[in-house]
Amino acid sequence: MKRYPSALAAIAAASAIVLAGCSSSGSGPADPSAPVTLTVSAWNLDKTPEFNALFDAFEAAHPNVTIQPVEILADDYPEKVATMLAGGDTTDVLTMKNVTDYARYANRGQLLDLTDFVAELPTDKIAGLEPFDIGGKYAAVPYRQDFWVLYYNKALFDAAGLPYPDHITWAEYSELAKKLTSGTTADGQKVYGTYHHIWRSVVQAVAAAQTGGDQLSGDYGFFADQYALALDLQNSGAALDFGTANTQKINYRSMFETGQTAMMPMGTWYIAGIKAAIEGGTSSVEWGMAPMPQINAGGETATFGSPTAFAVNENAEHVDAAKEFIRFATGGEGAEVLAGIGVVPAYGSDAVTAAFTALPTDELSKATFTEDKEVVLEMPVSEVTSDIDTILEEEHELIMAGQKSIADGIRDAGDRVKNEVL
Amino acid sequence: MVSTAPALRKRRPPEPPAPTRRRRSLRPALVGWSFILPNFLGFALLTLVPMVFGLALSFMEWSPWGDPEWVGFENFERMLRNSTFWIALWNTTYYAAGHIPLTMAVSLGLALLLNRTLAGLGFFRTAFFLPYVTSLVAVAVVWNMLFNPASGPVNQFLQFVGVSDPPGWTSSTAWAMPAVIVASVWRDMGYYMVLFLAGLQTIPTELYEAARVDGANAWQRFRNVTLPGLRPTTFFVLIMCTVASFKVFDLIVVMTDGGPGRATKVLSQLIYEEGIREGRFGLASAISLVLFLLVAGFTVVQFLLQRRRED
Repeated sequence: MKRYPSALAAIAAASAIVLAGCSSSGSGPADPSAPVTLTVSAWNLDKTPEFNALFDAFEAAHPNVTIQPVEILADDYPEKVATMLAGGDTTDVLTMKNVTDYARYANRGQLLDLTDFVAELPTDKIAGLEPFDIGGKYAAVPYRQDFWVLYYNKALFDAAGLPYPDHITWAEYSELAKKLTSGTTADGQKVYGTYHHIWRSVVQAVAAAQTGGDQLSGDYGFFADQYALALDLQNSGAALDFGTANTQKINYRSMFETGQTAMMPMGTWYIAGIKAAIEGGTSSVEWGMAPMPQINAGGETATFGSPTAFAVNENAEHVDAAKEFIRFATGGEGAEVLAGIGVVPAYGSDAVTAAFTALPTDELSKATFTEDKEVVLEMPVSEVTSDIDTILEEEHELIMAGQKSIADGIRDAGDRVKNEVL
Repeated sequence: MVSTAPALRKRRPPEPPAPTRRRRSLRPALVGWSFILPNFLGFALLTLVPMVFGLALSFMEWSPWGDPEWVGFENFERMLRNSTFWIALWNTTYYAAGHIPLTMAVSLGLALLLNRTLAGLGFFRTAFFLPYVTSLVAVAVVWNMLFNPASGPVNQFLQFVGVSDPPGWTSSTAWAMPAVIVASVWRDMGYYMVLFLAGLQTIPTELYEAARVDGANAWQRFRNVTLPGLRPTTFFVLIMCTVASFKVFDLIVVMTDGGPGRATKVLSQLIYEEGIREGRFGLASAISLVLFLLVAGFTVVQFLLQRRRED
């Protein structure tokens, strides 16, 4: 009996220690300065300088964290990440290359719910957050918001004595492309008026953004005019033909950087790529940026784009460090780092615009970047997005390679979407 | 082995063997089993069990982020409704129908050519075997360049010999599959050539001498000595080539990625896309089952034909 109280005291003391242990590990890292190795999935590090820039800046601000990138080939990125996640991979931060893949991973429950985390962020300053809303929940935060513009080679325009493509229509674009197709580069390669990369978005997302068509609807009549334009350009020799671009796996960057094309519709992610190529001495292209050509002159610029985001793996080993990284990368500090290397951050402020020094200094390039515009999501997100994407991709290939007429391709795409997906 | 089994059974004495004898005869069997056990264990764990599991999976809906759920024939219904499945099934058959006979003919021809005393024989044998040990991605990329419709050497040659409108090869729905078949025959011919060469070495020269004495010409010697002598090798090559043909994947993915459109999409590729990319393990397993039945069916038919020929 005498020993009873002391035994109670011992139990109480022991449980207090246990509780203390619990609470300290439950509320954030036990020791915030303990060394952490954070793994982040990324693609083509040498051609996508934003990753290393963000990693270096974050490591400088958090000396205890070492970031270990998990580099994946850009073309294989969605499949590779899907395979990794299916295998229970523990990479902490996952970069969401596009919203379609994001929806796929999030619907599978492979991403950590960040709804509470997002509520603490200055969401009014982050563009492109809305597509990441799945039933009121967020599992990723965008750090960059790209949109499509028209890149052009100033030297080729000057040589042809043509005005720069300032707010032009598609008809004017086509005319310019044909006039600019002449001669060869110093290496003896043909110079084209424009280059349409093989992605279906170059035709289909443009059409959807500018006509208001829905790429998930199964009614694809709104693609027709844009296909007619693209086919006319390649048939007249003003654009490299799709078959060659596809089978030779043509790199759009080298097309533009070596002066093989005078114009090229492409996303703003390429600004950083050109900057890196010029600084690295592999290209001496004099370039400028104009808004996407429009169907009719005079209206507000309509283009398409897609945000790129960071998410936390459901199986992440270092959740707190991962969240801290996302807070940094998607906030003002990260945005200035991104703007500094020519990447369009999702976070917008005057300081960020001032830091964006990669843009050519001419007014047209600046206006392209800062003017009010309508940026439509490249591909709407739903459960059937990836199935429809596959079908549209296959039919796009057939139309562009001249294996099907525009009308047949549009009809078959619609039939397949309606019969097999919707 | 198979055809001699009934004969053995007939020769067996009708009365049951004595018990001591049975125990003694059990021993060699056990020794035999213990020899193949390590290999069998590996096969069972890594191939047999997953295969049986895959069969069950084709009746379930299961993705890596959920529990399996029994859905009966739903995966099969979905598969049959999917036009891509039928296209892939046709493409796989098309590929096999082109690849198997061409590869066998070319590799047998090469083996016959190189089965004689010839200056630089070793060099030629090595040269023809090289494609097989070359990285497949490199092979596919180089063939893509050769087949380039505008500036590729293949079409330049065709234009040189007077074909005014040469095919578009990998950018044409009609010619993409022939292009892939040509590349794959080129790649595989060296391997099967070595098998045929080994088979040719086993045919006794006395038979050729006897045939020559009997006045047989070169074609008759080939027809009546070489081909029958090569029968076991031919059978083996046929089976290996059939299996390899039906499960073609890598070459197509690198060369055309199933395109243009779906013109070269094959079953293995569809299985990969549905299973890995879309995470529909059940549907992918159902398609795998079709591929398995296809390969098994062809192999059984070939075994039956072979047995009938031997009887």
